[in-house]
Amino acid sequence: MEYIDISKIEKQAVNHVISETLKETPQITLTHVNAMHNICAGLSGKGEVIIDDSTGLYTGSFLEDLTVRVKGSVGWYAGDDMMSGELIIEKNTGCNVGAYINGGNIVVYGNTGSRVGYGMKGGNIIICGNAGRWGGIMSMGGSLIVLGNIGAETGESMYNGKIFTRDPEAERKMGNNVFLDKITDEEIETLNQLFEQYAIDATGESFRVIRPLKTGRHSYQLFKPVLEPEKAKKHMIKKG
Amino acid sequence: MNNTKSKWHNETLKEIDYKAKHGKYRIEGCASPRYFPHFEDLMILPSQLTRMPIDTYREDCETRTVLGGRFAKNPIVLETPIMIAGMSYGALSKEAKIALAKATAKVGSIISNGEGGILPEELEHSYRQSIQMLPSRMGFTKRSIEVADMIEVLYGIGAKPGLSGHLMGEKITDEIAKMRQIPIGIDLHSHPRPGDAFGADDMVVKMEQLRELTNWETPIFCKIAAGRVKDDVKIAIKIGFDGIILDGCQAGTGAAPAMAKNHLGIPTMPALVQAVKTMEEMGVKDEMSLIVSGGITDGSELAKALAIGADAVAIGTGAMVAMGCRVCMKCEAGNCAFGIGTQNPEQRAKLDIEEAAERVANYMRGMTAEAILLAKAAGKTKLKNLEREDLRSLTLEACAMTGIPLVGSDYVIGEGFGFTAG
Repeated sequence: MEYIDISKIEKQAVNHVISETLKETPQITLTHVNAMHNICAGLSGKGEVIIDDSTGLYTGSFLEDLTVRVKGSVGWYAGDDMMSGELIIEKNTGCNVGAYINGGNIVVYGNTGSRVGYGMKGGNIIICGNAGRWGGIMSMGGSLIVLGNIGAETGESMYNGKIFTRDPEAERKMGNNVFLDKITDEEIETLNQLFEQYAIDATGESFRVIRPLKTGRHSYQLFKPVLEPEKAKKHMIKKG
Repeated sequence: MNNTKSKWHNETLKEIDYKAKHGKYRIEGCASPRYFPHFEDLMILPSQLTRMPIDTYREDCETRTVLGGRFAKNPIVLETPIMIAGMSYGALSKEAKIALAKATAKVGSIISNGEGGILPEELEHSYRQSIQMLPSRMGFTKRSIEVADMIEVLYGIGAKPGLSGHLMGEKITDEIAKMRQIPIGIDLHSHPRPGDAFGADDMVVKMEQLRELTNWETPIFCKIAAGRVKDDVKIAIKIGFDGIILDGCQAGTGAAPAMAKNHLGIPTMPALVQAVKTMEEMGVKDEMSLIVSGGITDGSELAKALAIGADAVAIGTGAMVAMGCRVCMKCEAGNCAFGIGTQNPEQRAKLDIEEAAERVANYMRGMTAEAILLAKAAGKTKLKNLEREDLRSLTLEACAMTGIPLVGSDYVIGEGFGFTAG
């Protein structure tokens, strides 16, 4: 295990130093990260980077093959456009975690903010706590798994992909152009494997799945102004 | 839109009929049919006694253009300052995309991929490849960044600023659905906002990320639709882009609400003036590149755009016309008889890729030759030496919008543009 004190390295050189050190040793611990942005952004290759601190924006974005484990919390956009590998966050995250990910696994042991998995295209995002509004909005693939409560408008206008939820209020909270479905045996098995892999105390059987409505172009409903004359009558100003 | 004096012409009646029947707005392809103030309202001053003309038929005029060198280590070098604008595989047929890419290789130019990922055949044939990073991020991965000669972070397009991409179900084939990871048969209305940068401050950090990913080598541009140009350009400068692609409201698209095409954004020429002024005020004009697009079709518009301060122009509809498009404005239907704006195999077969590529290349050569002709007549040995002092406004409107003095009067109405005629 190699330790790198990030506070002693020039900001622009940090990811290069991590990358070079990984060629020598498969496991590195970063200390004094001090909520730095873009830590481990664009890194690739085998190995594990442990961040013994909290991080700023874009943690582990565009990650490929590597495992990044954050002991603290992370800021917005963690793991955006991730290709493969693992991003494991032991505490909480800001918003838009896992935006546009193509593959790999993001695991958040705490809670996450709004728009987790925005436009995600592959991979798995597991949120052990609660998720904010618009989770999985306009996703195009992959799986978003939320063990806690989901936020309002979850799954709004998904094109593809799956959102697994145990929230009893899921049907009321989910967005437009999606439906709540039973989980399949195959999906239960996949979830159970993931839970085992990341030591998460849950079983796939307890989940339901939010899936996109894509049975035809006319089933996909877009915003339309709703004009309701009956409601307007209540607001009429009486003259005289 | 028709500009006859009567409000109640056929177009108005047709629009009302459409809404009366369907209760919604109309989707249309191509650019706005409206008249907007444009470069035709400017004239170029020829050299006479004040300076010597350059021999049109015997002497050279350099057109080579370097773009994106503000921070990037590997700026783009083009033989002519004409770019093929971002038009997606989906909006256009595969054959049309390949033909456009091949045209860039014939003239030493650059093509932008548009929304929905990079078609391998386009990448294979293009001279230089710009890759768009859109809010939808469809078909975009780390591999896209690796193959890009230039990256365009897209915030909006001139034809429908503030709106996201449209691709009607008729054009979503199995291959396009796979590339974009969307279901077959839906009408696609893509993501309107980037999910990985909510605002300019985040974008500053995002830019550091992109610089790390590209090792500071690849030029990173932003593409913005012309609206609040002064403010948007200031923010783009602050974010740290190498250049800006500024798209005026005359720009075209594969499909857009007609309302958006006709009523959103500002025209290319005044937008360019505002961008140049802002870049000068911020002290970055010499280091930051500016590409302008929207309704540019010939060498005079290229020359005038360069004279105002652009480094290059981008063409879209013009290149489609060179391939055979007759601007029927029904691109959204995917029923293009010329094999350009369609995914129908029978229609696609009508487009001869080699012939179309040669026609587009010829069009770009012709445009370049036209601009050279005007530049030489103005006494320039380099296209980029055209300057706003070489221009005069033909109308009061153009004078007020550009700050370029009115012909025959040397008067400037409005803010001026940093020089005095006479």
